[in-house]
Order: sequence, then structure tokens, then C-alpha cells
Amino acid sequence: MPLVAQQFLLLVGKDLKIEARSRQTIGLVIVLGLLIVVVLGLGLGGGAAVGFGATVVLWVAYLFSGVLCFEKTMAVERSESALAALMLTPISRGTLYLAKLTSNLALMAAVALVITPAGVLFFSFDLSAAPFTFAAVMALGIVGFAAIGTLFAAVVSSTRLQGGLLAMMIFPVALPLVIASTQLLIHQFRDGLPVGGMGLGVLIAFDAIFLTASWLMFELVLEP
Amino acid sequence: MSGTQSKLVRSFWIALALLFAADMVLIFRYTPDERSMGSIQKIFYLHLPVAINTFLACLIAFVASIAYLWQRKGWWDDLAAAAARVAVQLCAVVLATGMVWGRAAWGVWWTWSPRLTFSLVLFLLYVVYLVVRSSVEGRERRAIIGSVYAIIAFLDVPLVWLSARLLPDIHPGSVQLEPAMKLTLAASFVPVTLLAAGLVFSRFVLNRTASAAPNSVPANHPKNVPNPPFLAGAKAIRLTDGAL
Repeated sequence: MPLVAQQFLLLVGKDLKIEARSRQTIGLVIVLGLLIVVVLGLGLGGGAAVGFGATVVLWVAYLFSGVLCFEKTMAVERSESALAALMLTPISRGTLYLAKLTSNLALMAAVALVITPAGVLFFSFDLSAAPFTFAAVMALGIVGFAAIGTLFAAVVSSTRLQGGLLAMMIFPVALPLVIASTQLLIHQFRDGLPVGGMGLGVLIAFDAIFLTASWLMFELVLEP
Repeated sequence: MSGTQSKLVRSFWIALALLFAADMVLIFRYTPDERSMGSIQKIFYLHLPVAINTFLACLIAFVASIAYLWQRKGWWDDLAAAAARVAVQLCAVVLATGMVWGRAAWGVWWTWSPRLTFSLVLFLLYVVYLVVRSSVEGRERRAIIGSVYAIIAFLDVPLVWLSARLLPDIHPGSVQLEPAMKLTLAASFVPVTLLAAGLVFSRFVLNRTASAAPNSVPANHPKNVPNPPFLAGAKAIRLTDGAL
């Protein structure tokens, strides 16, 4: 196995082991996501957003849970100067980024696996017409979201104003993901139109552009 | 700034004010009213040039940010910050004129139409850029993080535009203009573009001055804000290094 792949697996394994032992992030993030779905469900009274309206509610839950998740996984590196030690090792910053991104994606997948059924249940969203389309669109959205979230979490961890700044940085940049994925799913589930065209192009382009840009610029923002 | 430079700058702003006055005469006296929308359509002669200049200011911030990361020269960062600030100011004008126009045309102050949504997201992206800059301590660190965010924000612009086009649109698809209207629109680009360039230059000079000062702090820091006129002589209560 190439050295880079070994380093990558080692870093991801380290992050997931820390999380499995401490369970600091996953429990907190899942409860937050569920609370957001419940609060929005109660606030909307069950009438204003039934069916495909659940996609918007789920996105709100993903966004806030994701921000907390990215913040916590980066905060682990801050404790006891772990990041400084990590930066002394002969591991490229690009590999560090990809490993952190993969850890974040694993956590986000776990969160989505709990929040999504809750949202679908509470909002009577019938997924039976295209369950795999729904999963694929949301997965594309979450990959792009995690790509910029991982980069900005590294930025925010080095600034003096940490609380709220990460959400403020990520949300405007992530809006194309929210618009494209919700519009795609509304067209699919309300109008019965197949997923494709510009909406899908925006999701794929977002993922490709920001995975590459974040991978290239992670080195610049990383500071022990 | 030397005396000659001050005179040049003053002449520029006076000439710009005269150009705007001439443009207003063209808009309100020379150009006919649009058939369906009437006189409210005249806001278009300001709205479109300001929108184009907003995009140009964002482009300058993007290019200057790449140049800063490439060369690590502070003046590129000062230019990027100046352009981003002007982009926010111009985008606020685009939003305000768009809302006034929307109110007159469709009876609502706000609608999630692609173009208004795009302007709003653009405004938010660059407001966040300014907030992020002011949150970072240390000139070099601030410049690096600001540059990274400006690049990400600009890469996001076409994606915001494309995704916003998925929303239902009530804007007119294409606008047919009479020759007099086309001339006025073209003429309006001159003062608006000069205003945008003047604002970017002024802010850039301010940023350079703040950067050149020893122990420089951001231009909007309380230490850089002078006492109000009624406290001009009251040195004892002026905010000083000790007070901060």
C-alpha cells in the first residue's frame, strides 16, 4: 500500500477511534439535529411543510449539525497541541485535509442516518417513488458541504471569534447546494420529473470545485 | 498626500458629481418613459451599471487575493479588502433599487426570484468576508484567511447564479430598449464605473496608510476613530492605548 494511503488510513482511524472512545461529537450532533427537526415540525404545525418540504427541514438540520460536527472534530486537534505535533510529522497537508474530510463525512453519514428517517416520518414524506435518488442527491450535497466545512473549521479554529463564525462562513457558500438539491427533489417528488440537468450539474460542479480548492488551500489556513 | 495629489482627487470627485448630474438630466429629460412600467423603469439606468460594477469589484477582490497568495505583498491584500468593501456597498444599492423596482412592478418588496436571490447571496458572501477579516488578529494571518475566503466566495458566484436560476422567475426574459434608452444606459455606465473605481482607490489608499502605520490596527478599530467634534479638545477622555 502506498505511504500516502497508509498515512491517510492512520489519520482517519485515529479520528474515528477518538470519537468511538469519547463519543463527544456524535451524540451531541444527533440530538441537535433531531431537536431542529422537531422544533421546525412543531413550528410549521405539520401543515405548511408536509411531504417534500421535509427536504428543506432536513437541510437546516444537516447544516447546523454539520457545523457543530466540523467544529468539534477540529477542536480535538487543538487540545494539548495535537495539531502542532501532527504538523511536525512528514504528512502532507493535503493528506491531512482528506483524512479530516473523511472523518467528518463518516460522522455526517451517521447523523444523516438518524435524522433523515425522523424527518421523513414527522413530515409524512413518501420516499417510495425514488429512494435512491433522494439518497444520492443528499449525499452529493453533504460531500460539498463537508468539503468547505472542513476547510473553514481549520480557518475558524485559529481566530479569536470562534462561536458562530463557522456557521456564518459556511452558510452563504453552501446555499447553491441547498437550492439545487431542494429544487431537484421538489421536481422529482412533486412533479415526477427525473433528476438531472442543471441542478445535478450544480451539485457535481460544487463538489468538484470545492474539494479541489479546499484541498489546495488547506495548507495555507492550517496553523498550530 | 501631496498638494497636487489632493487637488487631483478633489477634481475627480467634482467631475464625477457633474457627470452624475448630466446623467440624471439624460435619464429624466432625454429618455422616454417605458410603456408598461412608466417612470419607475428609470431606476434600471442605475440598477444595471451598479450590478455590473459589483461583479467587477468582486473580480478585483478575487484576482488581488490570488496575487497576494502568490506574491505575499501586502498591497494586494489591501486592494482585495478595498474591492470587497466596495462590492458590498454597490450590492446594497443593487438590492435596494431591485426591491423598489419589484415593489412598483409586482407589488411586493421581496420575491425569491433568481436575480434578487443571487444579489442577496452575493451581498452576504462579501459581508461575511469583511466580518472574517475583522475577526483575525495579525496582519499576515488576516491577509491569508481573507484571501482564501475571497477565492472561495468568488468560485461560489457562478454556482449561486446557476442554482438561483432553478427558482421560479418573474423577471422579464429580455428587455427591448429604444435607441434613446440604450444611449442613456451606456452613458450611465461612465459615472457609475468611475464612482466604483474612485471608491476602490480611496479605500485602497486608506488601507495602505493604515498598514504603513507602526503597530497598525484595522481602519475601523476604536483607536482609529477620532473623537466627535464636540469632544475635539477633550484629550483626557479620548480612547488611548491605555484605555484599550
